Amino acid sequence: MSNQKKRNFQIEAFKHRVVVDPKYADKTWKVLEHAIHEIYNHNASGLSFEELYRNAYNMVLHKFGEKLYSGLVSTMTSHLKEISKSIEAAQGESFLEELNRKWNDHNKALQMIRDILMYMDRTYIPSNHKTPVHELGLNLWRDNIIHSSKIQSRLLNTLLELVHRERTGEVIDRGLMRNIIKMLMDLGSAVYQEDFEKHFLEVSAEFYKVESQKFIECCDCGEYLKKAEKRLNEEIERVTHYLDAKSEIKITSVVEKEMIANHMPRLVHMENSGLVNMLLDDKYEDLGRMYNLFRRVPNGLLTIREVMTSHLRETGKQLVTDPERLKDPVEFVQRLLDEKDKYDSIINKAFSNDKTFQNALTNSFEYFINLNARSPEFISLFVDDKLRKGLKGVSEEDVEIILDKVMMLFRYLQEKDVFEKYYKQHLAKRLLSGKTVSDDAERSLIVKLKTECGYQFTSKLEGMFTDMKTSQDTMQGFYASHPELGEGPTLVVQVLTTGSWPTQPSSTCNLPSEMSALCEKFRSYYLGTHTGRRLSWQTNMGNADMKATFGKGQKHELNVSTYQMCVLMLFNNAERLSYKEIEQATEIPAPELKRCLQSMACVKGKNVLRKEPMSKDIGEEDAFFVNDKFSSKFYKVKIGTVVAQKESEPEKQETRQRVEEDRKPQIEAALVRIMKSRRVLDHNNLISEVTKQLQQRFLPNPTEIKKRIESLIERDFLERDNVDRKLYRYLA
Amino acid sequence: MERIDNVFYSYANKSSGLIDPEGIEALCSDLEVDHTDVRILMLAWKMKSEKQGYFTLEEWRRGLKALRADNVHKLKKALPELEKEVKRPTNFVDFYSYAFQYCLTGNEKEKQKSIDIESICQLLDLALGFQFRSQVDYFIDYLKIQSDYKVINLDQWMGFYRFCNEINFPGLSNYDPELAWPLILDNFVEWLREKQT
Repeated sequence: MSNQKKRNFQIEAFKHRVVVDPKYADKTWKVLEHAIHEIYNHNASGLSFEELYRNAYNMVLHKFGEKLYSGLVSTMTSHLKEISKSIEAAQGESFLEELNRKWNDHNKALQMIRDILMYMDRTYIPSNHKTPVHELGLNLWRDNIIHSSKIQSRLLNTLLELVHRERTGEVIDRGLMRNIIKMLMDLGSAVYQEDFEKHFLEVSAEFYKVESQKFIECCDCGEYLKKAEKRLNEEIERVTHYLDAKSEIKITSVVEKEMIANHMPRLVHMENSGLVNMLLDDKYEDLGRMYNLFRRVPNGLLTIREVMTSHLRETGKQLVTDPERLKDPVEFVQRLLDEKDKYDSIINKAFSNDKTFQNALTNSFEYFINLNARSPEFISLFVDDKLRKGLKGVSEEDVEIILDKVMMLFRYLQEKDVFEKYYKQHLAKRLLSGKTVSDDAERSLIVKLKTECGYQFTSKLEGMFTDMKTSQDTMQGFYASHPELGEGPTLVVQVLTTGSWPTQPSSTCNLPSEMSALCEKFRSYYLGTHTGRRLSWQTNMGNADMKATFGKGQKHELNVSTYQMCVLMLFNNAERLSYKEIEQATEIPAPELKRCLQSMACVKGKNVLRKEPMSKDIGEEDAFFVNDKFSSKFYKVKIGTVVAQKESEPEKQETRQRVEEDRKPQIEAALVRIMKSRRVLDHNNLISEVTKQLQQRFLPNPTEIKKRIESLIERDFLERDNVDRKLYRYLA
Repeated sequence: MERIDNVFYSYANKSSGLIDPEGIEALCSDLEVDHTDVRILMLAWKMKSEKQGYFTLEEWRRGLKALRADNVHKLKKALPELEKEVKRPTNFVDFYSYAFQYCLTGNEKEKQKSIDIESICQLLDLALGFQFRSQVDYFIDYLKIQSDYKVINLDQWMGFYRFCNEINFPGLSNYDPELAWPLILDNFVEWLREKQT
């Protein structure tokens, strides 16, 4: 609008005073009061909304908001008091229905009233800090109905009674419940909690306390858990149907506490049906249920885990110390693998692959596997058995699976260096007797060991394979350069590098002349191409295939050890030989010779020799003959004695001693390495550093470490600090 | 100086030019001291004598000058003062260590590093007996019955002195085998504790 000069337009205030009739307010209020009555009496259809609204508007405008508001309060209150009486009067079942009905009426009325009084709601009320109409309506309802002395406790008791009935199996009117509870919620969370939820939880706790006591007396663990789970699900369902969602966590806590937490120990240890029984019988469903229920309560899973661990350790301990089981190493290891499989299944199927349980399993295995000092040896023997024959015909994937399982056990071993020693021995025997089922499987396992323990662990093992391959090439070269030998006995030599193979002291043995000549030819051939090396024949590790013809013309091919071959060849030139004669001719040491003769004379199916007298023991004067009556259904007969077996006591002691001796330089090397880099270090830290460095191979004994430290002090590698005797100093 | 030398030559062996064991024995009887007495060891210490059983001229001069003695009579009078001097804590460690090294046999090239058990027992008695009688006696008992060690080295020897000084005896309450005590002392303590139960 432009700045035009205002001409005739002037808006003036009323010049006359507006006289507001004092009775105006009363009259207007009476109209509204009447309307409220009508509304409550379900007679609202006759009212004019527009008129009422204007009336209310006018009252507020003319500063009669106070009168309007207080009028509203008192009118509504008196109506509610009437309503309260009619609700109180309701009998039995109809109490809740009446309450519900009246509540709906009230809400409708309130809605209408609020619409009518909207102007007051928006102007008078905020500026005078009064409660808005809707909220006022709710508060009045709360104060006059819900908190009325005759209704309050009756309401609560009715609700709780219904819940209880439903819990005992009756069907109740859930819709009605939902409406009533919603009413309480609408009245504010304080009302819901104070007037219902608090008590609901208390009563529920009592209920479940009693019920759980009853169940635990008469049910076994699995049944009890089923019941507890059922109740828990019921409560959750109850909440979704007619309670505030926020109550879910509270009621489930109650059930968890009363039914599970309070009875956990008793359940877990229940005789004949507790956790241990479930584990023993692979009861996946029950275990899964227990896991799901217990994880809801503090320390629930911890309890399961502890019981499982102690049970596992106990059974494991029995397994590894049971003398019966120890008789067969392969069986022993198989049992360990079966036990591991069993628990892997349980953890997978019932404990949802929970990492903490997997760790508990690992710890338990680590504990009991190392209780038996022969575990490393037995695991190597198991592997030996598999690689020798057990894996024959098994698919490549299955082979990998088995080897991976063995690696798992290997990881649990504390004394990995003992395993290495045995593995080397057994591998040597397998390679030399040509008795390995699958080269690929052998190599696969070496790779796994290398990945686990590093290059050093397997470098010698790989050296053994290399020697075998190189020897093949050497043999080809040998026969190529000596074509004239094609007719005679075939010599197969494996040249073994001393550092890589397990050392065995070689002993005397006189080879038959045919063989010794051939061996000499090989020796000169080899040394011709490899000057500066020394060869020594290991007659205790060889084998031979011999064609034999017996008295009745039976022909057989015998696979025997070198020693056995020497003995048998003697019989080409003699009918009868005494033990002494054989000993003198072969110069094989007595214990080996006796074993060798026993294996050929005293074992059914392999008795190519006959002995007089027939006893099992070998005496000096015993006589031996070729057994002309020898028979076997097989053409090829294997009599060799070079098979890996469980060591005897003295052998075991010896191996253990060698392992201990090997450990000393390793400890010293670790000590020097650490001190060289740290220069100064105190005793306790040095011990723990050394232990950490060596733990991949074995667990060093602190006493042994101390001995090595003192040895290094004596040899002037280290010294003690002059002032602080706990410190060691590196001497460059 | 001349007088000191004269006394030396009165005990020395004519051909070797050193006082040898015989000479020492004669010296001891003149001093009225048994030749196994600790004071002779103390004298050797004062002289910084290198070889057990022998005194060189240089060593003799060093010792007697320090003791301000130029004849046997004065030397004898100086012995109690010498004893006091050695027993002072600052000197005693040095003396104790010296005692061990003095008893090692062998020459420059092949110096021995440990002493056999029997000799150690005697040496312990001599060097520490007056100060830690009970510890020494028990330890000697133990050394004789144990079989882990056939000889004792300097580290173990010094360790024992520290043991006597620091550890309650016979309570042993403050002994901690997790610390850097020589292993032989760990074993000794274990043996003692077993005896006590």
